Amino acid sequence: MTSPAISVERLARSFGQTLALVDVSFEVPPGSVCALLGRNGAGKTTAVRILTTLLSADSGRAQVAGFDVFSQADKVRTRIGVTGQTATMDELLTGQENLDIVGRFCHLGAATSRLRANNLLRDFDLVDAKDRLVKKYSGGMKRRLDLAASLIAEPQVLFLDEPTTGLDPISRREMWAAIRSLVSRGTTVLLTTQYLDEADQLADTIVVIDRGLVVAQGTPEQLKSSIGRPHVRVTLPDLDTAALERVRSALGDLAEIHGLSVTMPASRGLATLSEVVAQLEGMGLPIYEVGLEHPSLDEVFSTVTGHSGGAGLTARSTEQDS
Amino acid sequence: MVPAIRLPWGVVDIYTATLRYLKRGVRQPDVIFGSVLFPIIFVVLFGYVFGGSIKIPGGNYRSYLMPGLFSQAILFGSNSVAVGIATDMSEGVIDRFKTLPIARSAIVVGRAVSSLVLGLPAMVVMILCALAVGWRPTGGLGNAGLAFGLYELYGFAMIWLGILVGLLARSAQAADVIISIPTFFLGFISNVFVDPANMPAWLRVFANWNPISALVTAARQLFGNSIGPPPPGVWSLDHPVVTTIGLAILIVAIAAPFCVRRYSRISH
Repeated sequence: MTSPAISVERLARSFGQTLALVDVSFEVPPGSVCALLGRNGAGKTTAVRILTTLLSADSGRAQVAGFDVFSQADKVRTRIGVTGQTATMDELLTGQENLDIVGRFCHLGAATSRLRANNLLRDFDLVDAKDRLVKKYSGGMKRRLDLAASLIAEPQVLFLDEPTTGLDPISRREMWAAIRSLVSRGTTVLLTTQYLDEADQLADTIVVIDRGLVVAQGTPEQLKSSIGRPHVRVTLPDLDTAALERVRSALGDLAEIHGLSVTMPASRGLATLSEVVAQLEGMGLPIYEVGLEHPSLDEVFSTVTGHSGGAGLTARSTEQDS
Repeated sequence: MVPAIRLPWGVVDIYTATLRYLKRGVRQPDVIFGSVLFPIIFVVLFGYVFGGSIKIPGGNYRSYLMPGLFSQAILFGSNSVAVGIATDMSEGVIDRFKTLPIARSAIVVGRAVSSLVLGLPAMVVMILCALAVGWRPTGGLGNAGLAFGLYELYGFAMIWLGILVGLLARSAQAADVIISIPTFFLGFISNVFVDPANMPAWLRVFANWNPISALVTAARQLFGNSIGPPPPGVWSLDHPVVTTIGLAILIVAIAAPFCVRRYSRISH
């Protein structure tokens, strides 16, 4: 039984009247990717800032790599890498010089620092730009350099606060690829995102935060199945009410008409789908498409954040005071 | 790591931070150019534009003026430090440094040391300017060296005050305003340009007890540019070297730990 790489227990933090974190608990197993998912202002960044020793908490406990972030901050700092939302690379230094400064601050020694910097520049496709000043880098290159700097000390736990916010789609894909390759080397990653597809693409577990509270957590699949089972959708090419009604009655009591389609719960997944196809065969109806659909994380997100109840409302009303 | 190696790492961190600021410094030639140009303008403005109308009993005004202008340049050096550190604090890079296992003092100490080093070109240019307009230190090379040592020591103290203001200010613009006003008064209501003996009494008291006047008096004595004995009853002008050294050490001893603590607390 391995201890968690990140362990957060009942963390709370307010800024004046604003409750940034009300009660947040979660654990991240070593070597996995956890996504903190939430809207702007949900408390994601506050949680990351506490876990990366930048901010104190009002109450609760937090451990990273087995050390308490409050009483053993120095030990935590030697084991983490952090890439925040704002660029942290010095615009007046070159890419290589930036990595060198971070390497020296991590007490790596000149030779190790240089070796790792070269490897990272290669991994992040920055070799050609290494001697250019960072102010001449594109947005995507700056993010990659920032990520490289976070990795130079080979951290056990990596924090990425909205790593792809503001990036164009291609840079975003490149960032995802970089994060995936890290995880394959065993690094634990905690990332925050407001993009559902990002959480779905990268995360092993997702913690949905809304107004300082954890409103749902689990694997992407668990979250999806907690909202609803997959269903079969039969779509007709045109609006033909009579045909739609024939399909609905053929499929039984659970089927419903939605626009041009008929849907029914697929309680046995693909088996249900093939039964539906078998039933429709020979009915002589103009079928456009038959398919199995899973609930999307979008539905999960709107469902869980729409049910966040009384404490969330308190947090929202106090935010207006500040 | 064993605790005994903690101190050396602290020194290494300060070295790294200093290196970073020095590299940044040399990549901003416009800032260096400005810091060199400003003193030249002052030498021309006060040495010739106003200096022609200012009579100094038994002396050459430009020789009298130069030790004052060196002091003023040292004093005004705190402005750019305050603005620079306030700008630094508003950038994400400080967050990164705080998540690294570095000594808490490294960034601010590195800033102070690098500012002192980056101020040297301006000082050299100013000395050359002063020599070009006829200023001559006649008190011997050793005393002249001691005078420049005083300038640098006092400059280091002013840099720490600049860092303090930069850390306390909410923005670079605020830092600029907060530091400019006192340095302006200290720089001009002093014996930098004229003998306070001719000022109204209430200004004369301020000018005489102004620590910049002590620094200027010390330098004039060491350079051999004095035009007479200091005014009676002003201890700081009777003991200008001791006053200057003591005050500079006091400022650093108070400001530096305060800056380190303040830096550790800043978070946005």
